[in-house]
Amino acid sequence: MPIFDQGYQHWSGTLSGHAWRWLAIARRGVRVGLTNRLLRVVMLVAWMPAIALAFVLCLWGLIEQKSELVAPLAQMLPFLVPDLLADPRAFRVEIWTLCFSYFMWIELYFSMVVILLVGPNLISQDLRYNALPLYFSRPLRRIDYFLGKLGVIAAFLAMVIVVPSLTAYVLGLLFSLDLSIVRDTFGLLMASIAYGLVITLSAGLLVLALSSLSRNSRYIALFWLAIWFVSSVVAATLDSANQQQQRHQAWQASHQRPGPNFGGVDYVQAEIDAAKTNWRPLVSYTGNLSRVGQEMLGTDASWEKLSQLAPPSQRAQFLFVYMGPQYPWYWSAAVLIGLFGLSACILKWSIKSLDRLK
Amino acid sequence: MTSVSSQASIDQTSRENDAVAHRATRGSLVAALWTLYVLTLRQHLHGKRWMVMGLLFLLPAGLAVLMRVTSPDVPAPALEFFLVWIFIPQALLPLVALLYASGIIQDEQEEQTITYLLVRPIPKWALYLVKLLATFTTTVILTAIFTGLTFAAIYFGENAPPYGGQNLAGESIPLRSLKTIAIQALAVISYCSLFGLMSLVTKRILVVGILYIAVVEGVLANFPFGIRLVTVIYYSRLVAYRTLTFMVPTPGGGTMQDVAAEAWQLDVRADPGLLEHPQFGMCIKVLLTSSAVCAIVAAWICSRREFHFKTPEKD
Amino acid sequence: MHLEVVNQVARPVEVTPIVVFHEVSKWYGNVIGINKLTLQIRAGVTGLLGPNGAGKSTLLQMATGQLRQSQGSVRVLNRQVWNNPALNRFIGLCPEQDAFYEWMTGWDFVHTCARLSGLRRGEARDAAKRTIESVGMTKNQGRAIRGYSKGMRQRIKMAQALVHNPEVLFLDEPLTGTDPLARRDLMDIIQRLAGEGKSVVVSSHVLHEVQSLTPNIVLLNHGRLVAEGHVRDIRNLIDKHPHHIVLVCDDYRKLAGRALAWDDVEGVRVLADQSALMVETRSPDDFYGRLPALSLEDGMAIKAVYSDDDNLEAVFKYLVNK
Repeated sequence: MPIFDQGYQHWSGTLSGHAWRWLAIARRGVRVGLTNRLLRVVMLVAWMPAIALAFVLCLWGLIEQKSELVAPLAQMLPFLVPDLLADPRAFRVEIWTLCFSYFMWIELYFSMVVILLVGPNLISQDLRYNALPLYFSRPLRRIDYFLGKLGVIAAFLAMVIVVPSLTAYVLGLLFSLDLSIVRDTFGLLMASIAYGLVITLSAGLLVLALSSLSRNSRYIALFWLAIWFVSSVVAATLDSANQQQQRHQAWQASHQRPGPNFGGVDYVQAEIDAAKTNWRPLVSYTGNLSRVGQEMLGTDASWEKLSQLAPPSQRAQFLFVYMGPQYPWYWSAAVLIGLFGLSACILKWSIKSLDRLK
Repeated sequence: MTSVSSQASIDQTSRENDAVAHRATRGSLVAALWTLYVLTLRQHLHGKRWMVMGLLFLLPAGLAVLMRVTSPDVPAPALEFFLVWIFIPQALLPLVALLYASGIIQDEQEEQTITYLLVRPIPKWALYLVKLLATFTTTVILTAIFTGLTFAAIYFGENAPPYGGQNLAGESIPLRSLKTIAIQALAVISYCSLFGLMSLVTKRILVVGILYIAVVEGVLANFPFGIRLVTVIYYSRLVAYRTLTFMVPTPGGGTMQDVAAEAWQLDVRADPGLLEHPQFGMCIKVLLTSSAVCAIVAAWICSRREFHFKTPEKD
Repeated sequence: MHLEVVNQVARPVEVTPIVVFHEVSKWYGNVIGINKLTLQIRAGVTGLLGPNGAGKSTLLQMATGQLRQSQGSVRVLNRQVWNNPALNRFIGLCPEQDAFYEWMTGWDFVHTCARLSGLRRGEARDAAKRTIESVGMTKNQGRAIRGYSKGMRQRIKMAQALVHNPEVLFLDEPLTGTDPLARRDLMDIIQRLAGEGKSVVVSSHVLHEVQSLTPNIVLLNHGRLVAEGHVRDIRNLIDKHPHHIVLVCDDYRKLAGRALAWDDVEGVRVLADQSALMVETRSPDDFYGRLPALSLEDGMAIKAVYSDDDNLEAVFKYLVNK
């Protein structure tokens, strides 16, 4: 026939497999998220720590090469111990590790803000506007839906954590002019990326679970804030009380054992001893993420090596001040895994496929 | 309505209708406002929201029990300070006020039920003020109940001196808890008024509110600079400091420590009477006046606001 | 479509308009919602028609005081609407959006709306009971609204608009999503309200429903008033489109030859499958006048006569789809 029908033509080809169906949802979610001006501003600001990290790594590269450019600077920074400056290459891994550790600590808070801006709407808006049948009437499984939504969070967190840390790493590498850095620090880069993945999976699934519980995204955002902010305050409050308790117990102990130290109370030592079994930081969600990150990046080992530069009598104090929580990292990992499982159960229970929707 | 009227009789009819309407609405406006007040309270309490709020507010009491079990040597006044004077006013009160106050009009708009209120013979400014009043009621009751529970959790069973019904300053614990509730209530009313106004000024009330809580109330208020004069928590702390004592025994009980002065950056050594800070009456006036101003401005904005459905908002 | 004799409430003789828009414009930033519209809506049932985005909702929201006009004046019952909440005592609105306090029962919702309108406790109770009965929801009034069907939700929405016995009722797409039974019931309610002397403005883009309710229409397009008045009067004024009249006759071809001889007939189309003829004429009244004589001629007994465009749909199509 020379004249062809311009009307609807049914698709007679084969549909793509399930492997990439989530990508359509993720792509759409990212596009919608990027229309939020505030989010774009936050993502831009989140690059500043990366710029600072790159700057510090470059600076360390120049210190390793004992460059004339940084010689005056080295004198202005009294915390740079002479032993450190004498052989900076020996402390390369430690300095890089600690720099990345601080960077990830700051970016963790940016991640919480990004999730606050992006996460609450993801499922709650679908519930509000009854969009779930639109998804599940297509050949989409629930796992495709969840992966798509998680993909939105993963995309934004990658822009805030992974890409900046990768960029800072490459810049630090370029300014070191020493390829052995790759051998020494590549594991650190992988650990950073893996830590970013842990944050994405844990926080992403948690906010999706919250988002599936209500049609009003404002409440979801406030509950997310409660999990992030209030849990930290609760942990800090419990810690303060515990610190008081330690002091009372230390006072009682010193006054019950007459001896050379009678009346002289070593509060610091009591707190150092108690830190190893102090479970109170487990209450803080970001505290748990930090503790796992600490372990993944290997910051404890770095601090221990750096503590060798301090006088022996001050090493314990040094570690107590700088090393952060000392309880076993797998406690935090267990809390995060528990929350992950709870989030998955909530999602499974609250989002039903089409034949089971009311 | 089938009569043919001239313009003069139209005006006469309108005037008569106006008189009838005025008489009818004067008395019935009270009924309408009362119904709106009850409706708003019911909205706050229905569903799971109040349960979640309850859980959030039970947190201090739960923490008190936990701390008494895990840290039994910590004196009760110290626990009270951590929980009632740090945790509740800095974390819970502003968050709860933000949750409820930001939804005064926005919740109705999002649910599109505001239409049913706008087509009633209720002035928009009255609509806002009544809903704000209901929000005050809900938040104050929640604050009162759970602050009382927290006090009970901290001091229950503390029969040994010096806590047998009294604290170290000889204050009756029930009276202290009532004073605390009154101060917290005043603070939550101020927060509600402020966030209610913000919700009419910006669509991003959540972000703005969180920034305000974290930065202004959480950080700036702790600096001994003039900036804290614009924070709610500064005035409520001053009222608390001037009406209650915050002396906590140090380990060993030999000396007492003024935890509030240290934590709240009040230099009582240089200025024991806090003469450089606003007095009790001034603090109350500031909080009440600022709440009233925020409420009035918000009501004025509401009276001039259009609420769009299906039609585009202005750029 | 057969020519329908719409059995409507006779158009009131009085000249008092219920709703007056005078040179009203409304813009949203750079978007003009309503463009210099002057309109008077009189008592009785009036259909407010227009395609999507015509400005119907904007017009209704201005008439009920939810939106403020950017220019001009809007008066209902001879009173300014904006910021005049006392006027709401006489106005009822059945909004288009499907939004309720879902946790309330139907009775609770209507009763609350009655109390919000200022009715006292006893009055509100009686009014709620009466109104719920009038919309046929007595049996389901104790159930939560979240469990209602679409038809039930529309009925309850209508009930809240009626509970305070308003003089003027604005109905924004009241029949959307309803099943035929609910639609019939709601239309009966509207016609009964008109019979009781209430003024009803029904906004819709479902033409046949509006046509069943009233021949008095207001037609909007792109924020402008396109036409206003009786459907037939408007149709007659549309010179550009001749009327289509269908004649069913066995000897339709001979009839076609006779029709073509008349000056006012502009075209003829044979509908062989219906044994009919469609005639285009600019003077339908003259044409109808000639038909009895024509029908008496040999072999040309006309079995049926109807116009398939002397209706709202045709008016809409001709005026809106220019």
